[in-house]
Amino acid sequence: MGVCITGIGVVSAIGMSVDENLSALRDGRTGIGPLHYLRGTKASLAGEVKASNDELRAALGVGTEYVSRTSLLGLQAAREAWGANKRSGVIRTGLISATSVGGMDRSEVFYKDYLAQSNPDYRLLTTHDSGSTTERIAKELGITGYINTLSTACSSGVNAIMLGARLILQGVLDRVLVGGSDALSGFTIDGFRSLMIYDDQWCRPFDDSRAGLNLGEGAGFLLLEGEKSLELTGNKPICNVSGWANAADAYHQTASSPDGKGATLAIENAIRRAGIGSGQISYVNAHGTGTKNNDHSESVALQNVFGSHIPPFSSTKAFTGHTLAAAGSIEAVFSVLAIQHNLIFPNLNYHTPIAETGLVPATQLETGLEVNAVLSNSFGFGGNNSSLVLTKYE
Amino acid sequence: MNKPALYLSAASSISHQPTFGNPGFSAALRPVEASSALISPDYKAYIEAGLLRRMSKLLRMSVACAKDCIEQAGIGQPDAIVVGTGLGCLQDTEKFLNTSLTVEGLLPPTSFIQSTHNTMAGQISLSLGNHGYNMTHTQNTLSFEYALLDAAMLLREGDRNVLVGAADEHIDILENIAVQLGFEINAPLTSATSFFVLSAEKQGSAKAALADVYTSGGTAYGQEDIDAFLDRNGLRAGDIDLALCAGAPVPGVTRNLDYLSLAGTYPTASAFALHYAVDLLGTSGEIKNVLICNGLRKSNLGLTLLKAIEA
Repeated sequence: MGVCITGIGVVSAIGMSVDENLSALRDGRTGIGPLHYLRGTKASLAGEVKASNDELRAALGVGTEYVSRTSLLGLQAAREAWGANKRSGVIRTGLISATSVGGMDRSEVFYKDYLAQSNPDYRLLTTHDSGSTTERIAKELGITGYINTLSTACSSGVNAIMLGARLILQGVLDRVLVGGSDALSGFTIDGFRSLMIYDDQWCRPFDDSRAGLNLGEGAGFLLLEGEKSLELTGNKPICNVSGWANAADAYHQTASSPDGKGATLAIENAIRRAGIGSGQISYVNAHGTGTKNNDHSESVALQNVFGSHIPPFSSTKAFTGHTLAAAGSIEAVFSVLAIQHNLIFPNLNYHTPIAETGLVPATQLETGLEVNAVLSNSFGFGGNNSSLVLTKYE
Repeated sequence: MNKPALYLSAASSISHQPTFGNPGFSAALRPVEASSALISPDYKAYIEAGLLRRMSKLLRMSVACAKDCIEQAGIGQPDAIVVGTGLGCLQDTEKFLNTSLTVEGLLPPTSFIQSTHNTMAGQISLSLGNHGYNMTHTQNTLSFEYALLDAAMLLREGDRNVLVGAADEHIDILENIAVQLGFEINAPLTSATSFFVLSAEKQGSAKAALADVYTSGGTAYGQEDIDAFLDRNGLRAGDIDLALCAGAPVPGVTRNLDYLSLAGTYPTASAFALHYAVDLLGTSGEIKNVLICNGLRKSNLGLTLLKAIEA
């Protein structure tokens, strides 16, 4: 039976729920646009979640204003994935979230006042550490015990799913809510701008003219259950988490290797762990950030693994923006939707193949193929490469 | 719990105490003073000069400890690298935050790159040329215990040697924040890194075995959690020769020692306690069972059980 996914939740620039995200993916409707909620940044475009902190707090019933947007987005998606499930004295339940910015959205408000010596509110810092953003989600859901946070930059979300699956297989937990959350912040926008990989125009993953990423924000969560938990909850599995792998590129602190070494290892090992052949992958939800470096390196890795038989692939980053630590979990939810509804999502903004590799992503919504197994990639700073294989529940 | 013990084949710490390259340090350790400073080794012996220049303090400390561990354990490459950090790279985080709020125009990216929590694990993989599993856990005062749990799982999944460690750094604003938020701090705030090689099989010099690790978050804990942990390992409080504690002492054990008084206060100080215990088990024949009881934060409990390896 392995590890089953029984609940999913997502919030991103293209919607506040699974249904809203699915409808935007079907319609080819992006959520990237001029910033409306986060003011005073130098980004012309980003994938903002279309709700203010006050609106999120009101909708979620979170009283305190000392809460990071990262927690609010995480809670929105975690609640949806958790659904009507109840706490249990016998089902050992855990929560793993992934974040790269943690409560930086609040810390930068503090630090601005601190620098100006204008009565800074130190309580804003109580949500700074990444772990606290997860503790807040756990508290609101009433989950105690194994509460953990991973932070491996842009691959964090996949790593949370991988760790959750391992904890179930080793019998440490019976079920675990896994995912990732990151809010937009001036800190990360300035950071990616300083690296000269923030495109002021709409990002163009896998296109020869690509010039960088647009940041986004959001959260994705999945409820994973093992056999014992399923017997007690009676939940109906949607998909299996079948394969996973993490590998270090060990090439450069931020850039990916031109031969796609780490990415190739992650993809190969994840497919091997799933116990299927590479020919059985129906769709690849690529990392595809739109940077020169990532999309080239990822294309080489896909060629290394699949040779000339590369499955239909696309990046959904031109819908949501790059949501950093949330990306892997948001895209895992999209991968579940691809399997559930037999869909291959379009790679928006693609016109011309990358000269060196010549790969052509799916550019139209594909509804006529059976999607049984999806490979989802997430690659991050520090050469942190992760891949996930989700398969139809049988 | 009938899980096979795992072996601590190497340990290395850079801290405010004479821990680095100094086996037997535990015998003569005095409480850490507020005026103390980090005791740094000659990093050039571990890191190539060009790289060293670009590395922040916390990165140098982490990479030096990692390389020292690999050498001690006599392994070419670990199968995986797992790091716990409570607050990540604070110095570079503050630096980039400052730059981003005060500088107009193009910003230098170095401090942004080095502000990411997984910079330590990433730099270690780069320095070793390691392509294995690379993970960073950040769960406040339990970050190191979660890293240790992950490492233990990897060994049960078939890995042979895992490099596992903890890193946290002090910046000046922390004292100010602690006062403003009314944190009760009984030992000075410090920086430190501790790394270990955890192995599935006993290597020549290993003197300590990791019997079990337990974490609990988000709820008040009590003596019954500690009793249940000891019970699942077939022990009672009276069997514990030394409990290294942050927070309340453990009743019924032979001796309690507040490890924060030695390590100073930082989120992953329990990693210092682990090195202290490994060192003690390597030098003292008297001590057989050591419990590390991490109650640095009231709603988080971390328990680590170590046993002496019979010669």
